[in-house]
Amino acid sequence: MSRAVLELQGLNKSFGALHATRDLSFCVNAGEIHALIGPNGAGKTTLIQQIYGALKPDTGHVLLNGKDITSLPVPGRVRAGIGRSFQISNVLMDFTVLENGIIAEQARLGQSFRFLRPAFDDPDLIAGARKILARVGLNDRADQRVGDLAHGERRMLELALALATAPQLLLLDEPMAGAGPEESQRMSQIIETLRGKLAILLIEHDMDAVFRLADRITVLVEGAVIASGTADEISNSAAVQTAYLGSE
Amino acid sequence: MSAIRDFIGLVGDGVKANQTLWLLVFGFALFPIFSYFADLPFWNDVAMRIMLLGMAAMGLNLVLGYGGMVSFGHAAFIGIGAYCVGISQFYGISNGWAHLGFSIVTCGLAGLVIGYLALRTSGIYFIMITLAFAQMLFFLFVSLEAYGGDDGMSVDRGEFGFIDLYDPLRLYFLIWCALALVSLALMFIVRSRFGVTLRAIKSNESRIEAMGLSPLRFKMVGYVISAVICGIAGTLFASWQEYVSPDIMHWTRSGELMIIIILGGLATLAGPLLGAIVFLLLEESLPMLLGAVAPAYAENWMIIFGPLLIMVVLFGRGGLTGIIDRLSGTRGNADHKAGPR
Ligand SMILES: Nc1ncnc2c1ncn2[C@@H]1O[C@H](COP(=O)(O)OP(=O)(O)OP(=O)(O)O)[C@@H](O)[C@H]1O
Ligand SMILES: [Mg+2]
Repeated sequence: MSRAVLELQGLNKSFGALHATRDLSFCVNAGEIHALIGPNGAGKTTLIQQIYGALKPDTGHVLLNGKDITSLPVPGRVRAGIGRSFQISNVLMDFTVLENGIIAEQARLGQSFRFLRPAFDDPDLIAGARKILARVGLNDRADQRVGDLAHGERRMLELALALATAPQLLLLDEPMAGAGPEESQRMSQIIETLRGKLAILLIEHDMDAVFRLADRITVLVEGAVIASGTADEISNSAAVQTAYLGSE
Repeated sequence: MSAIRDFIGLVGDGVKANQTLWLLVFGFALFPIFSYFADLPFWNDVAMRIMLLGMAAMGLNLVLGYGGMVSFGHAAFIGIGAYCVGISQFYGISNGWAHLGFSIVTCGLAGLVIGYLALRTSGIYFIMITLAFAQMLFFLFVSLEAYGGDDGMSVDRGEFGFIDLYDPLRLYFLIWCALALVSLALMFIVRSRFGVTLRAIKSNESRIEAMGLSPLRFKMVGYVISAVICGIAGTLFASWQEYVSPDIMHWTRSGELMIIIILGGLATLAGPLLGAIVFLLLEESLPMLLGAVAPAYAENWMIIFGPLLIMVVLFGRGGLTGIIDRLSGTRGNADHKAGPR
């Protein structure tokens, strides 16, 4: 019996008349890659936002390692062990790749309230930043301004920053969207190396990647879970066929 | 011992990375020699005004340029700092160090309160709420008849022990020391872990949250530091002017500070000081120049001043420091910004 890192209990969220999250309950277990799929507008990002703390559910609870974190704000959830990459790349565009790493490293150490030494010249921070970048193989791009990076590299950097806080649960919102086939493959390889080390909730439209990577899959349609199970169970489920896979 | 050597090394690195700033600061140290031999003692007065406004603009730049918080009410802190002199003297406290101490504490607290309330908003709301607080304080002092109300109060220069401020050179060098210390402090702050985080928040607040940091705390600390710097400038301003009135915190002064920063270059250390030099020199000389060419229009020097400012902002990307960096082919004034090293 595997342990649940994340447990969602009866989440509901409405935007006016739009019921974007409907009575949603499921678990993400320690060390598993759990894919969340569903058509556009199904409410996947809205759900991620509630797990991450950027949106507050109308009703229901979010539990991390059994602790109720429903009222914890974003930075607190990150410190409690949630990491995230966004559907639209979210990195520090005005800085270099290495500087992104340095800022992540000082945040990880909880040492950002220091006023004397120049951060970008600090050998310890640079060493830490290099380790963060090494996980996604971005060290040879260290001095590049992030604004000048290719889209796929930016996604890699974002993943590196999300991993820097050593999360127990990683939320990846379409990490391969907009990336070329080669970049997508590198991204899958890196996600593959994370298997078993932390729990990942992966939103992805690329079904090949989903069926290759996911230990379990949850299907969301119009804000509600219509099926949840292993890759085989999902691809054989009649409900999923009619509601989603068939219609694509 | 090694700590001192370490510190000197840090200062050396910082000075090397911010040459324009330190050239200007040392230029101000030498200026009285020039004005003495050129027999232009009046310009010492202009130089002091430049240093004081430049210092305040440097303080505002920490939140405006580095932190991306468009505060339209920083003249309030200059005013609070200035009234610390007037009100202290009203109650018989004439010690200048005490005035500075009160100013630092009061502006720190005012910055904390205003920051706490205003920093929950952003964009146009933040601009409006900071302006509203400044206006509130402005009208508060207008209505305080005991402290001169609308007319303000004349003050004596603070007593700084052996530094007699009625000696114009000593006043000049007290102001210069404050400018140098503020420059030094800001040089450390903007390159430090705190400063880097503040700039990262300006770049992308949600990524900083995603790193587990709460942006509000950093913004608050930055806001308080900048309020205190403006307060110190205001305190010295009152001693220099020997007079305080609500005018010192009029909203146009907040605007003036913002123009000075944008003119000089946002998020650079030298920018606000350079901006203050050019702004005040133009303000002093344009009426004279215009008076010589077309006396009837001398009063309308703003007609030239305005377009000039707009040209620098539109065509000089990065303001005056941006122009200097491009001419000298370095990024000396923006060294602490991102970019290949
Ligand atoms: N802040 C909001 N206010 C109003 N409606 C919203 C808001 N955020 C999302 N929605 C709506 O909620 C629904 C679910 O949106 P969401 O972004 O969660 O979908 P998604 O599954 O992530 O879609 P996609 O695959 O296109 O990213 C959509 O109809 C969207 O328009
Ligand atoms: Mg989405």
